[in-house]
Amino acid sequence: MSLSALLSQYGDLYLQALLNTWRLTALCYVGAFAIGIVVTVLRVCPVKPLRVFGDFFVQVFRNIPGAAMLIILVYALPRLKIMLSYEMCVIVASVLIPSAFCSEHLMSGMNTIHPGQIEAARALGLTFSQMIARVVIPQALRSTVLPMTSLAVGTMLTTALASQVPLRPNQLELTGVVNYINSRAVGGVLAFAVSAVLYVSTALLIGWIGATIDRKVRILR
Amino acid sequence: MTQRYPAGDVPVIELKNVNKHYGDLHVLKDISLSVRKGEVVVIIGPSGSGKSTLCRTINRLETIDSGQILIEGVPLPEEGRRLAELRSRIGMVFQSFNLFAHMSVLDNMILAPVSVLKKSRREAREEAMRLLERVGVADQAKKLPAQLSGGQQQRAAIARALAMRPRAMLFDEPTSALDPEMIGEVLNVITELAQEGMTMVIVTHEMNFARRVSDRVIFMDGGMIVEENTPEAFFSHPSSQRAVDFLQSIRTPEAL
Ligand SMILES: Nc1ncnc2c1ncn2[C@@H]1O[C@H](COP(=O)(O)OP(=O)(O)OP(=O)(O)O)[C@@H](O)[C@H]1O
Ligand SMILES: [Mg+2]
Repeated sequence: MSLSALLSQYGDLYLQALLNTWRLTALCYVGAFAIGIVVTVLRVCPVKPLRVFGDFFVQVFRNIPGAAMLIILVYALPRLKIMLSYEMCVIVASVLIPSAFCSEHLMSGMNTIHPGQIEAARALGLTFSQMIARVVIPQALRSTVLPMTSLAVGTMLTTALASQVPLRPNQLELTGVVNYINSRAVGGVLAFAVSAVLYVSTALLIGWIGATIDRKVRILR
Repeated sequence: MTQRYPAGDVPVIELKNVNKHYGDLHVLKDISLSVRKGEVVVIIGPSGSGKSTLCRTINRLETIDSGQILIEGVPLPEEGRRLAELRSRIGMVFQSFNLFAHMSVLDNMILAPVSVLKKSRREAREEAMRLLERVGVADQAKKLPAQLSGGQQQRAAIARALAMRPRAMLFDEPTSALDPEMIGEVLNVITELAQEGMTMVIVTHEMNFARRVSDRVIFMDGGMIVEENTPEAFFSHPSSQRAVDFLQSIRTPEAL
């Protein structure tokens, strides 16, 4: 099959798949970020059990392979009477795993903050939550834009887990669409190559956005 | 060593038999100290004698093992909101300035007045500009801390503490991280505060400044208050041998 034949026949499907990959990536990244911040706050809060829980959460989801996580979600949850759609299982896996890495980045970002600033915040009478919200998290975010950019790319690649569950054609993302095409026609390596180009282009776009943000917000020291 | 006050005159800061350990190290040994309203107390002593630790226990940046600390007669709460509230009444200035690196000087100034004292942003900003004017860095208000000189940062940090309208100010070696040419501008600001009657506890190695600004000098060594005296008495005829040795040691190298 030539490239032009491939695109003329499956072009719309690729476009749909690209948009699905973008949608999944954006959704999962936002979710991962939100959970990552919450878990990080737990990991540094004054309440010991919450700190332990936060560390445990990160250790679990940082060290579990995406495929294993997906299997657990797809096969184990129904036994607990929790029924999630296949797509939802992919989303949960692609939120939880990156959220652990998000928290790790934030923790290292916090370590760049001079401890004196924390003392200054306490001495001014800020409460723990005011200090976290106004002094700690903003600085941790500003100093971790580049790793967070890599995390966005990583999240995108994790969403390829969707290719491992049965989905309707209009739900396929860039990896799933390759399986779909190759099960119907002989797209071969070319079918992969199209998706690869779309992945790489998206990654470059994300990288460019990240670098731009980083230049804007990086903290002078 | 205890001082008598007229009835009803509650000391702004009072420490009663305060002890603190770092592991086996007994850093504060039975420290008792009161600072009256408007008084300027300078703490001096060799490195490691516990000056910073003492200063930091006063607003509970460091916890203590035994004894009592009272601010305007109220014991320091253990933790939480009430502690934060009490801390906000004591301004603190650090050796390393500690301005929030990601905020402009002006935002540094208004953060605590707005979030702790619940002032409106407009009111906080006006007060901030007035204070920045007073310490001579109003023209730097929009800049980030890293764009200021050390002396400017420290003056802004003093203004930030003053924006909380504190009942007392603590200074822990406010000029030790500064290039020599910037020390004067910071000491001038502190001297002005002293003249206006601000209650202050100042840890410093600047002996001329200490002598000029203080009402009382406390000499610490090995975690104890070894001597407590008026600046004239302390600097001209210290009564303890350790103070004599200390004054010798700091005078000799920089006897210009
Ligand atoms: N967090 C800590 N953990 C363990 N030991 C500490 C800690 N902070 C201070 N110390 C020790 O306590 C003693 C008193 O320290 P402190 O900083 O109060 O001294 P200082 O008089 O301020 O000295 P300097 O003039 O060098 O600032 C020192 O021996 C120091 O090593
Ligand atoms: Mg010190």
